[in-house]
Amino acid sequence: MLIEQAAYANRWRGVSPAAKAAFALAGLLAAFAAVSPGAALRLALCSAVLTCVGAGVPAGLYLRVAAPAVGFLGLSCVGLLVAVDPDSGWRWAPEAWPQVAALAGRSLAALAALLGLVLTTPLSDLIALLRRLRCPAVLLDLMVLCYRMLFVFSQAVHEVRTAQQARLGDATLRHSLRSLGQLTANLALQVWQRALALHLAALARNGDGSLRFLTPQFAHAGRDTALAVLAGGGLLVLARWAS
Amino acid sequence: MHIMEGFLPVDHAIGWSLASAPFLAWGVHSVRRQLQAQPEQRMLLGVAAAFAFVLSALKLPSVTGSCSHPTGVGLGALLFGPLAMVPVGFVVLLFQALLLAHGGLTTLGANVFSMAIVGPFVAFGLFRLGRRFGLSLAVCVFAAACLGDLATYLTTAIQLAWAFPDPAGGFAASLLKFGGIFAITQIPLAISEGLLTVLVVNTLTRFNAQELQGLPLFAGNGGKA
Repeated sequence: MLIEQAAYANRWRGVSPAAKAAFALAGLLAAFAAVSPGAALRLALCSAVLTCVGAGVPAGLYLRVAAPAVGFLGLSCVGLLVAVDPDSGWRWAPEAWPQVAALAGRSLAALAALLGLVLTTPLSDLIALLRRLRCPAVLLDLMVLCYRMLFVFSQAVHEVRTAQQARLGDATLRHSLRSLGQLTANLALQVWQRALALHLAALARNGDGSLRFLTPQFAHAGRDTALAVLAGGGLLVLARWAS
Repeated sequence: MHIMEGFLPVDHAIGWSLASAPFLAWGVHSVRRQLQAQPEQRMLLGVAAAFAFVLSALKLPSVTGSCSHPTGVGLGALLFGPLAMVPVGFVVLLFQALLLAHGGLTTLGANVFSMAIVGPFVAFGLFRLGRRFGLSLAVCVFAAACLGDLATYLTTAIQLAWAFPDPAGGFAASLLKFGGIFAITQIPLAISEGLLTVLVVNTLTRFNAQELQGLPLFAGNGGKA
């Protein structure tokens, strides 16, 4: 996963997740508060430059992560520029352009704020932050287990797919569907097997409740958060700046 | 099918989050009670969330020749029940936003409503209804997975049409427009996912029926098709 690679290998890895989350929250608020599409685009550019130059996330990786969402946005904007007329059927609707421009600007600014957070913060740090924010223990347990097991399942999928492809499992559409069905059934069964193994391992260590882990400590959390709040304030000012 | 970050206006984003919140609270409460009675389910649900996440990354061949990913809405509801799927779906959608930039934080409420609430409840309801009328397991599984998928797409189309009414025809025309776009791409995918889910259930019942006793899928049928 590209986002995980960047999250563990960037210059802001040691910055407090609370600070990065506060900055991302300000970015999201600013995206919705932007006075014009131009202001929203400035916000998006500002967030993207900060993530790439400030945190040192490679620009190519940033673009590869953003590309699917931007492609979806482009298609959606084309859809919104088409109107259904009861008399003439489908027609272009240039009158919807201001709304579409505002939507595109807002989405890009919000996407840049989200990417600024996820490309600089590993998910384990975000889960620890959610624990501090009193997220329900049931949801945290689900997140911790899901995060740890998804890499195990990804490896299993990779190995099974390699074996299926080596045996012409994707030769036709019918073969493809059958291979995918067998792969999914095999994985579904592993859910029970792996869950039982984890449960037995936890019982062997007297673990019968919530899963607890040491939370990482960040030496300059207060300073980081103060800087993030200031920078977030700057984003909000940028969003309201009309010219 | 996920609505991307920042796409919905702020009032819609907040509204769909508020609409999803009671279902999420209900799901969390239900899972908490379930864990008190059966602590081993804690690991099961966590591993199931990872399974659902990985499932969403698999490529699903479509009958139109295009390719997409399975939603796992129907299969998840049949294996774990619709109520457990709400917190599981919430975690999966949150992870998709944070790990894949697929969906978003401001649209999480809307995505949870369509994919973790409407889809699983429709799929599970149709499955139980079909079994009550004596339809075969394969037909019920296909209908649950296929129509659960379509219910999810329809909900997303309604969410988008409500947020962006057509300049000429209003909500109805916009729903027709988004529904039409989804119909071209998603009906073939829903059929593919229905077939895939039947294959999965067939494989499970053929080789592992004993381990799967007691699941919602087999409730009241003794594991027989």
